[in-house]
Amino acid sequence: MPFMPRLDSLRRSLFDRERLDRDLAEELDAYLEMLVEAKMAEGLKPVEARRAALIELGGMDQVKERVREVRVGHFLGTVWQDMRYGVRTLIKSPAFTVVAVLSLALGIGANTAIFSVVNGILLRPLPYPEAERIVAVWHTPPQDSFPGMKRFSVSPGNYLDWKEQSRAFEQMAIYGYAGLSLSGGNGDPVPVTGAAVSSDFFSVLRTEAFKGRTFSPDEEQIGRDQVVVLGNGLWRRAFGADPNLVGRTVNLNSRSFTVVGIMPAGFEFPQEAELWVPLAWDAEERQTRAIHDYLVVARLKQDASLAQAQAEMSTISVRLEQQYPEANKGWGAVVIPLHEDLVGDVRLALLMLFSAVGFVLLIACANVANLMLARGANRKKEIALRIALGATRGRIVRQLLCESVLLSVVGGLLGLLLAGWGGQLLVRLSAGSLPNTAEVGVDAWALGFTLLVSLAAGVLAGVAPALQFSKNELAETLKQGTGRSAAGSVRQRTRKALVVCEVAMSLILLIGAGLMIRSFWKLQDVNPGFDVSNTLTLSVGLPSTRYPEPQQQLAFHDRVMEQIRALPGVVSVGSTTTIPLTGGGSKQPFTVEGRPAPPVSEQPLAQTRYVSPDYFSAMGIPLKQGRPFEDRDRDGSPQVVIISEAMARHFWPGEDPVGKRLTASFHEKQGPREIVGVVGDVKSRGLDDEAASTMYLPFRQAPRPWITFVARTASDPEGFIQPLSKAVYAVDSEQALSSVRTMEQVLTESLSGRRFYMTLLMTFAGLALALAAVGVYGVMNYSVMLRRRELGIRIALGARGLDVLRLVLGQGLALTLIGVGVGMAGAYALTRLMASLLYGVTATDFLTYGSVSGVIILVGLLASFLPARRATKVDPMIALRSE
Amino acid sequence: MAGQKIDQMDLLQGTLHLLVLKALALGPLHGLGVSGRIEQITKGAFVVKPGSLFPALHRMEQAGWLDSSWGESENKRRAKYYRLTRAGRRQLEVETEDWKRISVAITSALKAT
Repeated sequence: MPFMPRLDSLRRSLFDRERLDRDLAEELDAYLEMLVEAKMAEGLKPVEARRAALIELGGMDQVKERVREVRVGHFLGTVWQDMRYGVRTLIKSPAFTVVAVLSLALGIGANTAIFSVVNGILLRPLPYPEAERIVAVWHTPPQDSFPGMKRFSVSPGNYLDWKEQSRAFEQMAIYGYAGLSLSGGNGDPVPVTGAAVSSDFFSVLRTEAFKGRTFSPDEEQIGRDQVVVLGNGLWRRAFGADPNLVGRTVNLNSRSFTVVGIMPAGFEFPQEAELWVPLAWDAEERQTRAIHDYLVVARLKQDASLAQAQAEMSTISVRLEQQYPEANKGWGAVVIPLHEDLVGDVRLALLMLFSAVGFVLLIACANVANLMLARGANRKKEIALRIALGATRGRIVRQLLCESVLLSVVGGLLGLLLAGWGGQLLVRLSAGSLPNTAEVGVDAWALGFTLLVSLAAGVLAGVAPALQFSKNELAETLKQGTGRSAAGSVRQRTRKALVVCEVAMSLILLIGAGLMIRSFWKLQDVNPGFDVSNTLTLSVGLPSTRYPEPQQQLAFHDRVMEQIRALPGVVSVGSTTTIPLTGGGSKQPFTVEGRPAPPVSEQPLAQTRYVSPDYFSAMGIPLKQGRPFEDRDRDGSPQVVIISEAMARHFWPGEDPVGKRLTASFHEKQGPREIVGVVGDVKSRGLDDEAASTMYLPFRQAPRPWITFVARTASDPEGFIQPLSKAVYAVDSEQALSSVRTMEQVLTESLSGRRFYMTLLMTFAGLALALAAVGVYGVMNYSVMLRRRELGIRIALGARGLDVLRLVLGQGLALTLIGVGVGMAGAYALTRLMASLLYGVTATDFLTYGSVSGVIILVGLLASFLPARRATKVDPMIALRSE
Repeated sequence: MAGQKIDQMDLLQGTLHLLVLKALALGPLHGLGVSGRIEQITKGAFVVKPGSLFPALHRMEQAGWLDSSWGESENKRRAKYYRLTRAGRRQLEVETEDWKRISVAITSALKAT
């Protein structure tokens, strides 16, 4: 087809429409006149001839419209027309527009906010070059000793063998977290989360230093490892972004380290690390296989697949099992893509939130559709007129879709603003329970997503009304004045179906939220095993440079304890190495005297804490049997141990463990220890944790450099933060405090992830409920309007107000009940997907289902009440006359 | 098909184009003239109503097959006349060939048992 004429036609049809239309009108007029003349020539009278000609023409405006439709660029031109017309109509009914735009803005904004989080954390690759080839390598522990545990940290000996024997990896690196105290910047020593890493660490991540360099292999040797790489944030915060810092020295744990490099902004691996030091092992450590302290990352070779790497690692593990059965029997290895490894835990929760906001948006769309349907009743005449003037059905559909898309796009723009701070708010609310949050933000992907969602929402909200109204009901509309045509009742059916869906979806969300809330309550009722109130904890890590000998560590410990004990208002004070609810802490194998000792790899493990005599009373852990530690349990006196009830139950069922003896393998040289007491179980990782076997060893018999002082106070523990800190500084002014927290805070933080997901789900469910209530109200209100005449007759025939009220409420109730029924089925199918996020309730918890249904039915009745009351006020005379 | 006349609804788009091109091949015509000529050359089998005729004329003009200009009708009335362009003549040849091929194919298909 020739191109130029088309282009010319396009120009004319877009910019010269008026002249084209004038031409067309004239052409058709001439046609009509000639046709009339032809009819007259056939012998008809002028009037009859004109009538016959008009019939043959079939409607001047319809013909014109058809001609316009074939014009090139007609589509573009009319879309523009539809838009302008849409804007005008929307401006003319501001109340409708504001309500529709706001509900869409909420729906779209919530979706964009959650999307920016999901995109940043789940969808986007990690911020390292060719990140898809980076994997985490873990041990898999023997399942009989570690039931259900799939990943286990790695020992130096095994790592070195993996690294040497594997061929599938370009590089393999090992690292561990290191809590360090940094001085030499400005001010007091500050605790910093750091990582000790092997020299390959940075090349696995393919990230170079932003200034200076990263580590060289020879810095893995003890003596040459006094070098440090700083994170960009730390460099700015503690050193004012000093450009000449590289080459200078800083103090870490009171030893001087040379700064060799500064990482680029955004580099934060492992999570929250701000500083990296070389991981240096001595000859003995390099042989260690039983102590699992480290994590391994590796980069797959270009041509190696994950499956190949896994197969190779399995082969190597079998070989190591045979070679070192004592340490490695039953230990395998698993290769997991790093991204999956990092987000695995939050994936389900994020997807749950994503579906929840999806539901909210669907409900918002249904509401807007309902609003449009209700408004359409008033627009029937306008639409009939347009059809009479030659608009085709497609054109009407497009016009109405244009309006709803306009609404949703404006809603989307508003939503984008909401999402902008919503996403950041989410990250703040998440309080560290989300990984990789540096990647969260409204970026091009989120913009694209918002645009798509807005368009989809607009079409979704507009399609039902558009199809309903575009039906050619010209004759009907003209016949009936205002009101109760058959099409009207079809529309009302559509509206009811939409409301049923809204009720069903909000029920599903509410049940999901209800289950989360019930889990949360159950958790809060869980006895943590200690007394949370009035307890302050203060942790320090003694640097091995200044406290190399256990005796020095013990001396520090005793002097600080003395200082704290002397403070007025401190009821009792104790110390431990790991406080409850903060993680498992170290575990160690043990053997029971008088029972056959299995090889180390198969020995049972128990969490181990090193505590002072008064720890149990300070933390409020009840003594169940025997005695607590006393001052006489010290170096040189008989070795003793206190065990938890769970450990007593598991290893001495039906026996009295007190007086029995066991050997803790890290302290084998000191020989077997006598069990002198049994204490209550304490939740160590979180309130949803199972009670785990725990051994308490007297700190005096095995001093550690990691100490947490626990003070039970007579009044609000917050007031003791300063005095307690001063007590430490009085003993050693250079010692950094790594954390000072009340146990209330510890408890709150341990629940922060759950609280975050619960709060969000509650918010979305509340939003859904409000939108659904508006939907029920709208449809009942309209229904009363449609039935005004009938209600008028009923009242005229003697129906009392109560009868009418019952009639309308009954209808609202019926709608709600159908919605509840559908929603129950949906919830039954969907909530089981979130079973692993629940605690203490099943996904089909009857109480939740029942109470949530009750709430929805109540809200449905409330939403129908106003329309019902309006129905009782119908004046029969006015109602009958109005038709 | 009801009666002798073929309703415009049954006209394929391409067929209508072919008929309009053929009608105009004999000389310029205005709208009414085109429908009259079609009725005449198809011996009354096709009656093209304005609702189909005018969109077709405008579409073909945009395609560059027709050219239009205002002229005076037989009864001294200002009317829009359409004439074939060179592209239109070529199109007529192409469509005539196509039609013949289709016609032969359909006829033989119908004869097949």
